[in-house]
Amino acid sequence: MGDERISAGRTPDGDSAVTGSTDGISRRAALASAVGLTASTSGCVRQLRSIVNRDDIQQLSLTITTRSADGDRESIRLAREIAATLETVGIDVSIEMRSNEEFLRAVLINHDFDLYVGQHPGGIDPDFLYETLHSLYADESGWQNPFGFTNLLIDDRLEAQRVADGDERREAVVAMLEAIAIEQPFVPICTPTEYRLVRDDRYDGWSRGHLATRTGYLDLEPQTDNSADRLRVVHMDPRPSENLNPLNAEYREQGTFIDLLYDSLAVEVVAADGDHALEPWLAEGWEWTDESTLRLALRSDCAFHDGEPVTADDVAFTYRFLEDTVLGADAFPAPTPRYRGRVAAVDDIDVRDETTLEITVGTGQAVGEQALTVPILPEHRWSSRATAATVPGVRIAQGTTEAVVTDNIPPIGSGPFQYDSHSDRDYVLFERFDDHFTRRGSVDLPEPTVEELRIGIDPRSTSAIQLLEDDSADVTSSPLESYVIEDIEETDAVRPLESPSWTFYHLGFNARSAPFGNPRFRQVIAQLIDKAWLVDEVFHGHATPIATPVTDEWTPDDLAWDGADPKMPFLGSNGEVDVDTARTAFEEAGFRYDADGKLRVRQ
Amino acid sequence: MLGRVLVQLVVVVMLLVFVSTALFVGRSRLRTTRSAWRRRLRAAAPITIVLVAVLLLNSVARQIVPDLSWIIDWNLTDPIHDLEGEFIIWLQAQATPSVTAYFSFMYIYGYVFLLVFPTIAYFALSETRPLRELLTAYTLNYTIGLVLYVFVIAYGPRNVMPELVDALLYDTYPQYQHLTRQVNRNTNVFPSLHTSLAVTVSMLAYRTREPYPIWNVVAAILGVSVAISTMYLGIHWAIDVVAGVVLAYVSVELASILVGRWSVSAWMGSRTLSLRTLWRR
Repeated sequence: MGDERISAGRTPDGDSAVTGSTDGISRRAALASAVGLTASTSGCVRQLRSIVNRDDIQQLSLTITTRSADGDRESIRLAREIAATLETVGIDVSIEMRSNEEFLRAVLINHDFDLYVGQHPGGIDPDFLYETLHSLYADESGWQNPFGFTNLLIDDRLEAQRVADGDERREAVVAMLEAIAIEQPFVPICTPTEYRLVRDDRYDGWSRGHLATRTGYLDLEPQTDNSADRLRVVHMDPRPSENLNPLNAEYREQGTFIDLLYDSLAVEVVAADGDHALEPWLAEGWEWTDESTLRLALRSDCAFHDGEPVTADDVAFTYRFLEDTVLGADAFPAPTPRYRGRVAAVDDIDVRDETTLEITVGTGQAVGEQALTVPILPEHRWSSRATAATVPGVRIAQGTTEAVVTDNIPPIGSGPFQYDSHSDRDYVLFERFDDHFTRRGSVDLPEPTVEELRIGIDPRSTSAIQLLEDDSADVTSSPLESYVIEDIEETDAVRPLESPSWTFYHLGFNARSAPFGNPRFRQVIAQLIDKAWLVDEVFHGHATPIATPVTDEWTPDDLAWDGADPKMPFLGSNGEVDVDTARTAFEEAGFRYDADGKLRVRQ
Repeated sequence: MLGRVLVQLVVVVMLLVFVSTALFVGRSRLRTTRSAWRRRLRAAAPITIVLVAVLLLNSVARQIVPDLSWIIDWNLTDPIHDLEGEFIIWLQAQATPSVTAYFSFMYIYGYVFLLVFPTIAYFALSETRPLRELLTAYTLNYTIGLVLYVFVIAYGPRNVMPELVDALLYDTYPQYQHLTRQVNRNTNVFPSLHTSLAVTVSMLAYRTREPYPIWNVVAAILGVSVAISTMYLGIHWAIDVVAGVVLAYVSVELASILVGRWSVSAWMGSRTLSLRTLWRR
């Protein structure tokens, strides 16, 4: 430092040293020394600044957001196993538990998380990935891109499968899935196998419709005199008793009961074994008049539960409303937090008359037909909900319309069941909508056969099972938690029903913040998760590890699980990470470890 | 399902209360109570009304408290877990079926009996102060507990480590889920109200050890059992239980300061007196 000061007085920025040259020597000397001092200090400070103002990088510290065991036993267990693994490779991890709706609010609405573990509703058609990952949606709230993931290549692939049809689409889907598997915007962990308990003595026909969909509760055959009176459903999630809004993201999972209240133009009819077909529902049928135009005729004389007729105007309104729940009244649109990708497929709707309309889609026909599966809302109930929600004295986030936050009770749809009564966290009672078109003799579709459908809330698998064994319930609509499945005793009346799922558990990254936006980082994390071991340990084997988040039908051969993850193989064995290998992987990805084995990352 | 569990609870607790009254209170006290019940009832009426009001308010507030807590969003589960480590896991490692049965019984029946019996026992005393202190302490427990529930979100051990901490009560006796679900929300574990109310009774029983020496011992055993049961069954953390004991202590001390400060009858008396003087003028 001393040497520096001497030289600094003369050399750097020399121009300042030659001012005041005509003055007396003593003055000059004094001045020179003053200037020298200033100059020397400035040089010193500059270097000091270079040294001090380099932000130190710290140990990576992150929070995994998830649900409590009452909300989702498997999620908290996965989160804790993953947290323990990350701790062993030098990351500081804490876990934040939230209730069902608060978890979804943090992840989907406020994007307030680092990593999260949860169950994704998934999709039978892989097009759900478009809304899940397209960068256009990185800023919206809802199931559309909660990760804030942005990648132009992936955007391209997501769009390519959307406009293609037939074999061309199949290839485009493969290309999309391959790219996603490399980027790992989220880590797909496993698809659970769903087990529900049904009573055979009161109803027959449980294997017809998948119980995660509306058709599971239709076409049941009552076996005794009074069983047609009331179907007793046990549900382990209290949210349907608190909120019945089809657009609300925090209170919905797959929206099974919403689909009993609301009809859509077409319905994906899924059998208990997973076979599925898209069937005309509220629409009598449709035809493609050209490559991108669908002509639809609504079934005649359909009504909403309040008696108002279902018209083509309601259909047109629904699509317009889902696209923008303020209906153009605000500076920017406020799109729906659910059904986003499906609605985006529709370019234009032309109402021809009361019951016919033409829908122009900006996608291929396969994805265009998927757009027909959104719930049709009555315009006379929802147009007034296009206003901003207000709470006196509180500033509300822009785009928060009444439509997305209302609990929507009583719900008025046109579906096979209508709302009767409810009590928060206790039950919700539906009664059959006798005028529903499926009850017409001429219509050959699954129909409501019971007078009433009571969804009783019971938050634990063990007590739900007891209700069935005591003949106080007919079916568990939520899948049972995996830890009780081994203990189920099959009797004459009660039996477990196994069915496939298209939901999946996953680890989500918030790509908006470092280092989670770095694909190399995500790849290493993906390789620290022993999916097969987790399936055994957490799900007791009642799940399938996955490398790609789509159904078997769409899984390409080289992304199929073959005993290990084909793209992101686990760096260790039997759930134990090989710490040295993991450290090398992080170092090769450009990250550094300190002497204490802590992973240091610029956050 | 709920009905059957409730009936069972009422029958068992009534049986326990009946036997204990015969054992601890005795015939002579009951005889004097028969003649003095009006006076005692009048003395205890004001605080009883306050307690009932607080309980009613509590049952309504319990519905909205979780929403308020999530708005405040002060989630202490992880800090509590970090602080106390694996104590609950160790405690549960001692589990045997008979121990589980004992603590489940204590958590449900022992607890309710512990809260109900002293009201009868103290009512049978000619001095009404213990009764009024008891009811005041209950009121304080519920009020302070509710305020803490609004501010603190915390999940119990069974919600954090479902594979290590068995939800012994709900998985061994699923029917109780229906009972406790009516009163408990899973984010309200700090402090343990089960502990604080039970320990409140134990502390007051110590103060009344002169008239009820055996009850003092029984209440101490029950109080400790209930406190342990909340941890053993994976419902509360040890820190919740400690906080519950502190809450009990604060409530009992406050109750002894507050009781006797204001007299409703004296206040009413002065009112009617002044009215009478007005009348005369």
